[in-house]
Amino acid sequence: MILTILSVILIVSGLVFFFGAAVGLMRFPDFYSRMHAAGKGDTLSTLLVISGFALYQFRDIHDFSHDWPVLLVVLKLLAIVVFIYLTSPTSTSALADAGWEDGIDPVIEPGRENHLEDDCHRTPPSSPQP
Amino acid sequence: MIVAFDIIILVFLVIAAIISLSVKDLLAAAMVFGIYGFLICLLWAEMGAVDVAFTEATVGAGVSTVLIVATILNTRRKSTD
Amino acid sequence: MKAKIFASIAVAITGAVLLYAVTDFPNFGDPRSPANAGVEGGSPSASLYYIENTYRDTKVPNLVTAILADYRGYDTLFETVVIFTAGMAIFAILRVLRNENAPSAPSPDPEASNRTIDGDHHRIIVGITCRIAVPLVQIFALYVVAHGHHSPGGGFQGGVMLGASFILIALSGSLRDALARFSEASYIRLASIGILIYAGVAFLPLVFGRNFVDYGALKGLLGTDGEEMARSHGIFGVELGVAFTVMSIMFAIFANLSTRGRLKGGL
Repeated sequence: MILTILSVILIVSGLVFFFGAAVGLMRFPDFYSRMHAAGKGDTLSTLLVISGFALYQFRDIHDFSHDWPVLLVVLKLLAIVVFIYLTSPTSTSALADAGWEDGIDPVIEPGRENHLEDDCHRTPPSSPQP
Repeated sequence: MIVAFDIIILVFLVIAAIISLSVKDLLAAAMVFGIYGFLICLLWAEMGAVDVAFTEATVGAGVSTVLIVATILNTRRKSTD
Repeated sequence: MKAKIFASIAVAITGAVLLYAVTDFPNFGDPRSPANAGVEGGSPSASLYYIENTYRDTKVPNLVTAILADYRGYDTLFETVVIFTAGMAIFAILRVLRNENAPSAPSPDPEASNRTIDGDHHRIIVGITCRIAVPLVQIFALYVVAHGHHSPGGGFQGGVMLGASFILIALSGSLRDALARFSEASYIRLASIGILIYAGVAFLPLVFGRNFVDYGALKGLLGTDGEEMARSHGIFGVELGVAFTVMSIMFAIFANLSTRGRLKGGL
């Protein structure tokens, strides 16, 4: 019973983060902040939802010597989490870099500096690529 | 098989198909086509045809999107009609 | 504009005919539909036979794999040949072998920005992640090929995943890296070898005086207990051939499409 409640809490909180990611994707002003909402919200909520699923699987274990194959399902779910943690931030990073190289400017409050310019520079068109 | 779930996926499927046909930017159309592939994979998995869903996930949503994007980058990005 | 109206009318008429045809379908999961119950007064249906006898005949729990590679092995052989032919057609159309004066890849967009990321940070991030991911993808693809008897999957899906892992190398680094691991000569050879494995495994029963794709005849050759296990192993051999061909053709199509047949540069 407690396991079920815990897994439902995890899944629902994951869905809340999914909702936050969706709202951020629609409401944020520019490419980079949308990217950050989608990337971070997606990764965390997938972790929460899938660990909720994994916890729910433990409900089926009554007699460990007989029901141990359930652990294989849990292992597979955890493998999915590991893969999402590898690939999702990487794709977000690659997308943000591609956006910067394509010339998308972030929206910056007047009076503030664009710190992105410190890390990245504009190369003159004629100079050879580093 | 849950009929309500089926209908929701089918509606999204039709919307994705229409969008991918009507968008002028071919790169966007390729991405929406990938979404279409995932939706039809979801539909098949939900109807119990797991093998077909697996094939669709690898071929339709995975490799064919990459191939279409590779082709678009070597030709033109804008659709003429 | 005229063509568009004509096309819309054609699509509407075709759609109406298709929708009309759908009303004649049996209900989903109807036990008395011809596919499930067979023709009335005639022979029992094929699907009933498969459901009742597949495990007894082949010891393969996954009906789909058994039907594709054993009962309908002849069809699958030529599906694999279709993929091989598609790959060879793309190779024949696109590959530029000698003529260096042919139009090269389009020049970069003049309106593109001249910004770059300082250093190679992003290449490092993507490269390292792909270096971790590619072996795992390949191991999972081999698992899918070998475990198609018991779980969803099989030669086709596993082959596409293997091909996708090489495409991932080409996308994250450069096509040259991918070609260093899987050169043009080897992918053409491997595609042909895959067809040869399939056709060879399917042909072997003829040597023992049995029918084409009747893997049960390989009992003595494989040293299995009964014909059932021989059929199971025959299915595995066939899947291996499909995986080789599909992997090679997927990568060949990508390499030729992304470089306009030059296998230089790339995306």
